[in-house]
Amino acid sequence: MINYAYYPGCVAKESGKELDNSTRFIAEKLGINLVDMPEASCCGGGVIDGFDHNLKLYINGRTLALAEKLGYDILTICNTCTLTLSEVNEELINNPEALKKTNDYLSKIGLKYSGKVKVKHLLYIVRDEIGLDKLKNAVTYSLDGVKVAPFYGCHILRPSSVVKFDDVENPSGFEELIKALGGEPVSYVRRTKCCGFQTILVNEVTSTSLAGNAIYEAQQNKADVMVTPCPLCHLSLDTYQGVAAMNINKELSLPILHLPQLIGVALGGSYAEMGFSRHNISFRAVMSKIKQNKLK
Amino acid sequence: MEFTVKSYRFNPEIDEKPYYKEYVLNDFPGMTVLNALMKVKAELDGTLSFRRSCRSAICGSCAMKINGITKLACKTQISSEIEKFGIIKVDPLGNMPIIKDLIVDQEAFFDKIKEIKPYLLGKKDYIEDDFKALKDGEKIKQPVYYKTEFQTLTGNNDTPNCILCECCYSECGGVVANPKYLGPAALAKLYRYSEDPRDNDKNGSRLVNGSKPAGMFDCVLCQACEEFCPKGISPVKTIVKMHEKAIKNSITFSKGAKHIIGIARSIQETGRLDEIKVAVDSVGISGILNDLPVAIGAGLKGKMPPLRLKLIKDMEDIRVAFKDLNLEEKHD
Repeated sequence: MINYAYYPGCVAKESGKELDNSTRFIAEKLGINLVDMPEASCCGGGVIDGFDHNLKLYINGRTLALAEKLGYDILTICNTCTLTLSEVNEELINNPEALKKTNDYLSKIGLKYSGKVKVKHLLYIVRDEIGLDKLKNAVTYSLDGVKVAPFYGCHILRPSSVVKFDDVENPSGFEELIKALGGEPVSYVRRTKCCGFQTILVNEVTSTSLAGNAIYEAQQNKADVMVTPCPLCHLSLDTYQGVAAMNINKELSLPILHLPQLIGVALGGSYAEMGFSRHNISFRAVMSKIKQNKLK
Repeated sequence: MEFTVKSYRFNPEIDEKPYYKEYVLNDFPGMTVLNALMKVKAELDGTLSFRRSCRSAICGSCAMKINGITKLACKTQISSEIEKFGIIKVDPLGNMPIIKDLIVDQEAFFDKIKEIKPYLLGKKDYIEDDFKALKDGEKIKQPVYYKTEFQTLTGNNDTPNCILCECCYSECGGVVANPKYLGPAALAKLYRYSEDPRDNDKNGSRLVNGSKPAGMFDCVLCQACEEFCPKGISPVKTIVKMHEKAIKNSITFSKGAKHIIGIARSIQETGRLDEIKVAVDSVGISGILNDLPVAIGAGLKGKMPPLRLKLIKDMEDIRVAFKDLNLEEKHD
């Protein structure tokens, strides 16, 4: 078992509980021990910098210190949480003044941070630390014949000076993982573009058009399903898919999965265990196809 | 090494629709994409049109999409592109209308630069919400700052390096979504002037104007502008700094500012992001009613977040952070 301090983020604990549940399902199957941090706070949703930069350092420095106290690296399942925690980690490691200021705060609540924790997203933990061979061996239902459009989103790739998991110009981690599950990755331009979530409450029309264009392009490239490593992208792509379709004036109907749901199906998870009924666009037809590909 | 340049071609005077044309070349040590395009034009096809000038990553003329990513052709080595993609595929910049081949119409981009008043405001002509340039013949009496002094004064060490190449604008998710959005280059310039101690913007109206629709709060925070700037500038960081400065100066009329404050308030109260409360704070009850079909759809799928969130364990720690930073009163 590999231990990680588990940081699911807020959405996976609220409207996107199926993400948390499917992460726990695959963690058990792949030998990942998720150590909960009930004290951890929200990272600030990617915008807290715009309220107060020091607040971003304090609340995320506290989360990093909680993980350091446990002695584990942090496992994230949200792109924006990944970037925010990584940005703060970089700043605390490279800026002694920021570290001192944050530790002054942490000392008041009985914590200290020395910069030992690494922040890693589930996608790259599975690829780099569990290993794709082990993943392949654990597959019980192959995704053979299923065309999967990977939607990376922004904050798992950019800025590459902070999140250094993949080649920002031509990433391949997601595609490698899809192939290990037996699926066929769909190549399309918008796989690394923005879903628009950060302005969904500011300007819904323009925001959802970004998600809509990505879904439309994936559909045009014959995707059966789109998968995202970020619950914020999932909200844009699935929950708002109907609005996006109206705004770009195109027919859209593509099931959108969270990354651990895709892995979970290949590892034998049922429709109910993966929480697919919580999604707007049904995955049932693709699921039936996968259930015919039993390996073990 | 022999390699292929695959170039976007379109001449609206003779072509019905765009197409790609391939040219086979041999490289030389240190060859850039611009070298290759110039070789094509000189030796293979004189009709290929593209902008270029300095060949030294100073003028910003030769920005274009190279294998899908916007770069300066003069700063991009053939060898590294071939190693990664096996071809040199060139397209015109994104988010701008195409005039011919790799040449785009830059008018909208420069209109947006002009819109943020890219000069120091004078002392006499200042009217809130309506900037005016100096009157004819009027000069600002002030010392000349050298770049290093400017950096020391403002902590602004990168935005003055902008060469207006449009790489950020071409990659900007915000402009894709909303062609009226000012975009990263103009907003970075707005920040550069809003931080300049010589600028006569006493009432923060640069930030007021920048907070209007299609301004700084329409940034989707996709980080592409920072990632693909050939001069190492981070427009998105300047945009976020302006968010902070606007909110600290009570310029909070925009939905974007309300959204940020809503998230901070939610963290102060529960330690978590309260999805319902943040939505109400950002767009108000009328905004929520507009989104009722989405909310009902999500509710029927069991995705409605809890109305009252459980506090995180050791919630007092978060309150200490807000108290320490004197941010509590911002939430009242």
